[in-house]
Amino acid sequence: MRAVARKIPPLVATLLAVSFLTFLLTSLLPGDPAEQILGPQSATPERLAAVRADLRLDDPLPVRYVRWLGDAVTGDLGRSYRTGQEVRVAISERLPVTLQIGGMAIVFALIAAVPLGMISAYRAGGPVDRAVTGMSFGLLAVPSFMLAILLILVFAERLGWVDATGWTRISEDFGLNIKGALLPAASLAVGELAVYTRLLRSDMIGTLQEDYITLARAKGMPTFWILLRHALRPSSFSLLTVVGLQVGAIITGSVVIETLFALPGVGRLLVDSIFQRDLVMVQGIALVVAVSYVLVNFAVDLAYTYLDPRVRRGRATASV
Amino acid sequence: MSVQHPHRRHSTGRVAAIALLALVAAACGGGESAETDDSVAATTATTGSTGSTEDTVDPGAGTTTTTEAAATAKQGGSIIIGLEAETNSWLPGQANFGNPGINVALAIYDPLMRRDETGAMRPFLAESLEANADLTEWTLQLREGVVFHDGTPLDAAAVKTIFDEFINIDASNLAGQVKDVASVEVADALTVVYRLNQPNAAFGDILAGAVGWPFSPTAAKAAGADAGSQPVGTGPFVFDSWQRDDRLILKRNEQYWQAGLPYLDEIIFRPVPDEDTRISSLAAGDIDVLQSLRQSTIRRAREVSGVESFEHLGNNSGSAIFNTSRPPLDDVRVRQALAYALNQDDLVEILGGTGLTPPHSQYFSPDSPWFSTAAEQAWPTNDQEAASALVDEYTSDPQRSDGKAAGDPIAFQFDCPPDPSLIELAQMYQAQWAEIGIEVNLNQVEQATHVSQALAGEFDAKCWRVSSQDDPYRIFSDAFGEGSPLNFTRFNHPDIDRQLDVLRSETDLEPRVQAVEEISLVLAEHVPNTFTAGTLTALVARSEVRNIDGWVFPDGTPGEGVPGATTMWGHVWLDS
Repeated sequence: MRAVARKIPPLVATLLAVSFLTFLLTSLLPGDPAEQILGPQSATPERLAAVRADLRLDDPLPVRYVRWLGDAVTGDLGRSYRTGQEVRVAISERLPVTLQIGGMAIVFALIAAVPLGMISAYRAGGPVDRAVTGMSFGLLAVPSFMLAILLILVFAERLGWVDATGWTRISEDFGLNIKGALLPAASLAVGELAVYTRLLRSDMIGTLQEDYITLARAKGMPTFWILLRHALRPSSFSLLTVVGLQVGAIITGSVVIETLFALPGVGRLLVDSIFQRDLVMVQGIALVVAVSYVLVNFAVDLAYTYLDPRVRRGRATASV
Repeated sequence: MSVQHPHRRHSTGRVAAIALLALVAAACGGGESAETDDSVAATTATTGSTGSTEDTVDPGAGTTTTTEAAATAKQGGSIIIGLEAETNSWLPGQANFGNPGINVALAIYDPLMRRDETGAMRPFLAESLEANADLTEWTLQLREGVVFHDGTPLDAAAVKTIFDEFINIDASNLAGQVKDVASVEVADALTVVYRLNQPNAAFGDILAGAVGWPFSPTAAKAAGADAGSQPVGTGPFVFDSWQRDDRLILKRNEQYWQAGLPYLDEIIFRPVPDEDTRISSLAAGDIDVLQSLRQSTIRRAREVSGVESFEHLGNNSGSAIFNTSRPPLDDVRVRQALAYALNQDDLVEILGGTGLTPPHSQYFSPDSPWFSTAAEQAWPTNDQEAASALVDEYTSDPQRSDGKAAGDPIAFQFDCPPDPSLIELAQMYQAQWAEIGIEVNLNQVEQATHVSQALAGEFDAKCWRVSSQDDPYRIFSDAFGEGSPLNFTRFNHPDIDRQLDVLRSETDLEPRVQAVEEISLVLAEHVPNTFTAGTLTALVARSEVRNIDGWVFPDGTPGEGVPGATTMWGHVWLDS
């Protein structure tokens, strides 16, 4: 518990830094933010003045930051000038889609990567290992958008098993929801799968050379049990770190994948908002994404202590 | 002049099926299918006559003209339309209606005015629109008994409230369009008078767009900031729900003022931004209709089996504009030579439009009511001999405008933005002009510089785009009007000024078409710019979705089809 408590102040500092950088977005853009928001066609002096007054652009930067942060903490991220929608509402409408696709992608990738990584580590250099290695490099080289189009052509257009585009909410129909999420999640999963497999393999090769594994073997324990029970947990350190870090890649990927599959997610909202100079919306999304990323990696940090008691004890001894 | 569907295509199987059905229909003595030269009429009439008749309806009840589409249309069903983009809002004044958004709007709202098949502006939701003698007062007569989806009556007071409180306010993006409207007055319960600051013959055009799509002022006021996401119109479909970037669901308006319409029970619009996956969605059957403004998409969507493409060639065309105030392009002989030297087919091929977009010869496409056959014939193109003769005449002229010695080659600079396809295009221009001995120096400029140079007149020639779907008065007064800041070519001509006066003061179609033709002929003679090809747009529909381009006015007059890949969804029906 104390270990957790020690991690809180740096977390808060990071979040504050993230929020400040996000806030700076509007101020770092060249030109007048009000003009950026309205666009050259509709930027009449009256409308510019209205936007400036509304965003209180004439106040000093720190004052605006504190006010914005105060609003953001209480859930008020402002209202989009483009759509008239509240940013909080827009994001909360779309977040479930992105979370589901991203979550499914990570689960798919792990389900495939863990056995593949274990098998190839167990017989490193063997034909299975070489096949898996070749495959993962191949998958790494395929950009997700290309794979997405390929999957659509095969599974939607040719075979007709799933729809090419579109989204059904879980609340409407669970089956259709999963069906619609399959291809996008698979497209995102493939790149991750390759990374995870490679990482787990190399870590596990190291673990399998430890003395306690030799001991377990000498005791006559079944290979499967040794791999799963004794080798996997200590080998999944880097994997876990990378899963946390790759959340960023998933978010980046969702920008492309959601546009391709016409999914109403946060990634697509971000792209549209950027193209339409919807600064308030971009700011809100950037904040939510950045904060989620920081929090996920914070959670990963905490998970280390569960995976390896040495981390827990190490910290504990250091603090005494 | 065929306005609606010169590019209509059937897959081979479909053509055979239609031919067969036509025979069946003829055998059945289907007298109504006599006009089988029109493929729409043939398709709808013949298919319908083989189907059951019990669920057919007659939307033309009470009107004199009943179209064949109406006589055989079926009631019911739901279709999904894949649009290329989401729209920010549905409230006129707030919303930026692009082509995808207009499709949705025309299902929820009714336009007061629209163009018919011949290009004439005609009342749709309005009963009539009349101007006074000097075109400064326009009287709009509304139909009796029309109500918005929320029950609010559409009367003169509603029109005035919409105009004063939503359209003509600072925060409205339509304020610019109505800046010449001094006031809107209620003459009686159903009569509205628009008083203008200056004469405008094309005022009806404004009421065909978002300014003329009445929405319930009571609903909009009640919804406040959320009015843009809860549209309430008078149109054939009632707003049901909207998940942004996912789908917008509309249900049949059971109280629609046009009896029998709409045919469909439900219509779902889905924005599918990626062109490739939109085609896949059509092929896989996720969507029934695809909307596209990209010729490469249209080319591929045509190949999907079991679909029909309803295409429209827009006026907006690629162009090389010449600065007629600068030597050597101030001399008409040089400009004519440049036009004669071009093989437009090669230019179109570079743009990927071969077989899709024919070369342009004027500011209007063959699909436009303003297109002139005489101007097409007069347009100088693809004649090397004529080009060389004109070049020789200029270069051997001791008084030549560029001040060079007789015999020296003509030289000028050609600017294009650094877009790969435009660079390739510019090189093709350069090569074709080099063949008649003209030296063209290609220059890449960023878009912003490109525009500011054009505005300031600091250029010889530029890659450009010309024309639009606007009224020709607007197009030509901008492009060639005396003192217009958008007269990039600096070209003026007394004949054009005279015809602009006609366009400004005439409301009848015929004299206006005549005036446009005169201007097009002047342009063909003086060549202030050249053309590549128009902009292709399409709605590609699965073949069971009928009557995409066959919508009609309440009095039965055929409408203008599918301009800019938009249609009137109230007239579309499903043959399931």
